[in-house]
Amino acid sequence: MGSLFRSEEMCLAQLYLQSEAAFACVSELGELGLAQFRDLNPNVNAFQRKFVNEVRRCDEMERKLRFLERELKKDKIPILDTGDDPVAPPPREMIGLEAKFEKLENEMKEVNTNQEALKRNFLELTELKHILRKTQSFFEEAAMYHGNQPSETNQAEEENLLVNDYAKTPYTKLGFVAGVILREKVPAFERVLWRACRGNVFLRHAEIETTFEDPHTGDTVNKCVFIIFFQGDQLKTRVKKICEGFRATLYPCPETPQERREIAIGVMTRIEDLQTVLNQTEDHRKIVLSQVALDIRVWFIKVRKIKAIYHTLNLFNVNIAEKCLIAECWCPVVEIDRIQFALRKGTELSGSSVPSIMQRMNTKEAPPTYNRTDKFTQGFQAIIDAFGIANYREVNPAPFTIITFPFLFAVMFGDIGHGILMFLFALYLVLSEKKYLAKRPENEIFEMMFDGRYLILLMGIFSMYTGFLYNECFSRSINVFGSAWNVNAMNYTNTTLQASGTLTLNPNVYGVFRGTPIMYPNGTGDPYPYGIDPIWQSAGNKISVQNSYKMKNAVIMGLLQMIFGLVLAFYNHRYNKDYLALFCEWIPQLIFLLCLIGYLCVLIFYKWAVWNVSNSNSAPSLLIGLINMFMFTKPTWAKKTQLYSNQNEVQITIVIIAILCVPWMLLTKPIILYLRNKAKMKQLVLHVDPIYNHDSTANMGTTRYAGVRVAVDETSDDVAILDHDHLDDPETASITPKDEEEKFDMSEVLIYQVIHTIEYCLSCISHTASYLRLWALSLAHSELSEVLWTMVMHSGLSVKGILGAFMSFLIFWGFAGLTVGILLVMEGLSAFLHALRLHWVEFQSKFYKGEGYLFTPFSFSLIVEGRVDE
Amino acid sequence: MGDIYDMFFNMDSGYLEGLVRGFKNGILNKEDYRHLTQCDTLEDLKLHLQGTGYGHFLANEPSPLTVSVIDEKLREKLVVEFEYLRNHAYKDLATFLDFIKYSYMIDNIILLITGTLHQRQLSELLPKCHPLGIFDQMETVTIANTTADLYNAILVDSPLAPFFKECISEEDLNEMNIEIIRNTLYKAYLEAFYDWCQRTGGPTADVMCEILAFEADRRSIIITINSFGTELSKEDRAKLYPRRGKLFPDGLIELSKADEYESVKRVSELYAEYRPLFDGTGNNPGDKTLEDKFFEHEVTLNVNSFMQQFQYGVFYSYVKLKEQECRNIIWIAECIAQRHRAKIDSYIPIM
Repeated sequence: MGSLFRSEEMCLAQLYLQSEAAFACVSELGELGLAQFRDLNPNVNAFQRKFVNEVRRCDEMERKLRFLERELKKDKIPILDTGDDPVAPPPREMIGLEAKFEKLENEMKEVNTNQEALKRNFLELTELKHILRKTQSFFEEAAMYHGNQPSETNQAEEENLLVNDYAKTPYTKLGFVAGVILREKVPAFERVLWRACRGNVFLRHAEIETTFEDPHTGDTVNKCVFIIFFQGDQLKTRVKKICEGFRATLYPCPETPQERREIAIGVMTRIEDLQTVLNQTEDHRKIVLSQVALDIRVWFIKVRKIKAIYHTLNLFNVNIAEKCLIAECWCPVVEIDRIQFALRKGTELSGSSVPSIMQRMNTKEAPPTYNRTDKFTQGFQAIIDAFGIANYREVNPAPFTIITFPFLFAVMFGDIGHGILMFLFALYLVLSEKKYLAKRPENEIFEMMFDGRYLILLMGIFSMYTGFLYNECFSRSINVFGSAWNVNAMNYTNTTLQASGTLTLNPNVYGVFRGTPIMYPNGTGDPYPYGIDPIWQSAGNKISVQNSYKMKNAVIMGLLQMIFGLVLAFYNHRYNKDYLALFCEWIPQLIFLLCLIGYLCVLIFYKWAVWNVSNSNSAPSLLIGLINMFMFTKPTWAKKTQLYSNQNEVQITIVIIAILCVPWMLLTKPIILYLRNKAKMKQLVLHVDPIYNHDSTANMGTTRYAGVRVAVDETSDDVAILDHDHLDDPETASITPKDEEEKFDMSEVLIYQVIHTIEYCLSCISHTASYLRLWALSLAHSELSEVLWTMVMHSGLSVKGILGAFMSFLIFWGFAGLTVGILLVMEGLSAFLHALRLHWVEFQSKFYKGEGYLFTPFSFSLIVEGRVDE
Repeated sequence: MGDIYDMFFNMDSGYLEGLVRGFKNGILNKEDYRHLTQCDTLEDLKLHLQGTGYGHFLANEPSPLTVSVIDEKLREKLVVEFEYLRNHAYKDLATFLDFIKYSYMIDNIILLITGTLHQRQLSELLPKCHPLGIFDQMETVTIANTTADLYNAILVDSPLAPFFKECISEEDLNEMNIEIIRNTLYKAYLEAFYDWCQRTGGPTADVMCEILAFEADRRSIIITINSFGTELSKEDRAKLYPRRGKLFPDGLIELSKADEYESVKRVSELYAEYRPLFDGTGNNPGDKTLEDKFFEHEVTLNVNSFMQQFQYGVFYSYVKLKEQECRNIIWIAECIAQRHRAKIDSYIPIM
């Protein structure tokens, strides 16, 4: 059987790694990615483990790298991705890396502090420049105001002013402060000023058009220049305090225009000087960062690998006496050679003289489930895993799902046109997969579709196939082989044909159907060779014909899939050598299903074969017949309920067999278990055998790898293994196996069996009914696409003349949009969900337990991509 | 009324309630604390916190760690969460969350005034303010000399204005009346909050009134105990009691007459809820202080508030529990940093 049929055979192995070689060995195993290590110190805190300091150093290095990465992002310098994958450097190189990062970080920090200081300086100067510019206009306005309207309160001074230099005097008594404040704080600032100074200050503010950059955070901020006039020292301290409270920066602003001009000139020159210095710092920073950008990816990978290795080493047991680390890992049996090779390579690399040893262990614990997938199968495996990870070595439904899933989907989604669109979309994804694999798509929904690209591809192909069978392409039929119907025989008059769009096709008219001579005695030719005859497209009774046909099909397909599920259950029972379940559960289950639904399907075929067009009116209803069968109502020819002679006897036999299956399923297994347990208890009481506990198979595992056998004797080996195995408690492992087995509890077994029997019996009916969704969804899909055609596209096409061309053009886009949006995406999703349900519930419930756990090997490729959070 | 309220609750606040319940699951449990107390250095503490809901919140801090950095980061995390809740809150919940913020605002104002009285620089005081209680005019409180000033110039625009009505006077600010202001503000705040919750009705009222009543009573008791031996007169003291707790009215009257610890204890023991809090407290080593007992009771109330659905109490409780957790972590961190392990276990476990 193929590797997908059952999960890989796994084994638990114990590794003895010399402490000096452990790092290199684990590194090799990480590159290989085939071993899942178990935590041997689950009770030890994270910070009490052996290599916690190394992990911490890695954390610190990662922090520095993240810091550098942030700086790179801030400056939008692209990180060079050469795609190479460096191996983890040996531990002694860690110090070198640390020193390098330390140096870079310090350099970067220094540059940053310098730059910040410079920027702050620059900011202050620019603010001062703006203050000088803006206040100038305030002062000019004030001067004009005073010039035109002399203050009445201070008449004497006013006269004085007229005599003297009038530009200067009005401010002599008024003090003022000027500064810059964040724009959003202005209203609150103004209010507080007004209140706190009881209206005795005068505030003018003007917005600065250019935005500033906050030197600390790098955000852009908007600011305002303000100037406050006030009288007296007391108010001055108050105003200053308020300014401080609002984090406004105050700048000295001289009173006379000349001084202001001088300062402004000085400020301008200083700004220019600063600008050159700033540019130089910026260049320096760029140079440092561009060097970092070359290597940072490789550094990240290296540090992450080292960290992952130490994390793994922390899971190991330290044997101080023998100076070695003991690890336990799950690995696939077929890969043991590669793992051993990796170990040998790691030992050689580290230069250790003592080889690392790998040894198979025996365990009662269930191994992890490892299904080897490739890019094609992983999408299908993901569907199964989403329901539950298979038990170890349980039949994996994934390989069958590859065909059944797209098929059931397509039964509900049958349309050539829609299938082609879906196929083309998936084909695009498949063809451009290299591009998307190199750079994972950001969009989550798109990523999901990308992961399922092969699934969608098959869904598209199968939809085309079923669409061909249904003869539907965007709800229209294609007449490929020529219809097998001869409508002439119906003798419609011209008026009837013109008056009505669709007419009922009556097959019971002589000569209407060129069917095969067997079924149609007067048939003159062959039926439509493949799929549904296109004439039904224009028939009024299309739906009722197709309904009956699709409904029966759905039941037949349902039965086949359920029986197939039972067949897989048979493989499970046989593999587990669970003959009790095989004979006491599986066989009655199969009989029960065949008696109920199998019989129904036989009747379906029988009815198809025996009843023909001429006597179809007197054909009995299968559903009523099935109900009557359970009611033991005798079918009669007179009531048109009988299909064949002796039907009553056959049906009674079938029902009785089915009913007998129920106690068979329900009782035999618990009773046998009970008897077995009783016998075993008797035996145990008679002679307790202390040597019985010794696992006779334990030696087998060790001897098989004689080349790397440990030089310690068998018995002490076993003890050591059991000690490290935290899941087998050492106490229970050393006592007799009777403790390991669960205590037998009759009532529990019985209740379990009752639940399962009831569930199975009911599910036979309900699951069959559930498969009817195949028919319902398919009907809904074809109706919906038909509606879309007649309501949208057809209305566009029926406009006549030149206008019709334009209309068709415009309406086509509406039709195309709705087709993709509603029919492809929404209907597609709904059909997908139903197909998923049919697989998870109706199919897998027959055989699939799904209580295992996934094999998650220690692999660098996953860790470096950041997909595993160590 | 109750049922209608429940029906529409999720429409406005369902998302946030879900979120806050999720946050609450991240609160450290006994096992976490046990691990934390075993740490030898702050680095160990960091390593362990990484394994909890805190994740990598310290990952970008350079070594060596200090307690103050941890404190700052813990607070920052709470603030980020709270601000997220506040920004997405709608209608009543927004008001409710604002009420939670007001208590931090009160603390901040008092801190700034006290600091200014002690001639501290504003730049030195600001980092000590709780970020949840920062508002625009806050930093200007230093200019005020009297409470009237404070109110008229600064606080009248702030949301705290309504609470300030009772403490306006022309007296200069000094140590004593700052304490009085703080307590009057708190009293007004608690009463307003309590009344608001009561008006909101439904399960919010059920849960929050219980918690706020306890808060009010705790303040009354603590005020009384702290007032012994100070110049605060009994009438003034009585004015500071929040009148919404279970002690109101009879208990408060009795409390206002109290002269010593024993009489406070006697009054409180009349109330079934508070009796156990006073049992077994004392200053002997190994005994828990009354304060710790109060904290424990508060934690119980807050944890219980998560038992009720469709109410705002979970938001308040989450903030308070998280605060308690920060205090616990800081306590443990301090004990580790100062190598003073004897008392490391006297944190207040939450779950």
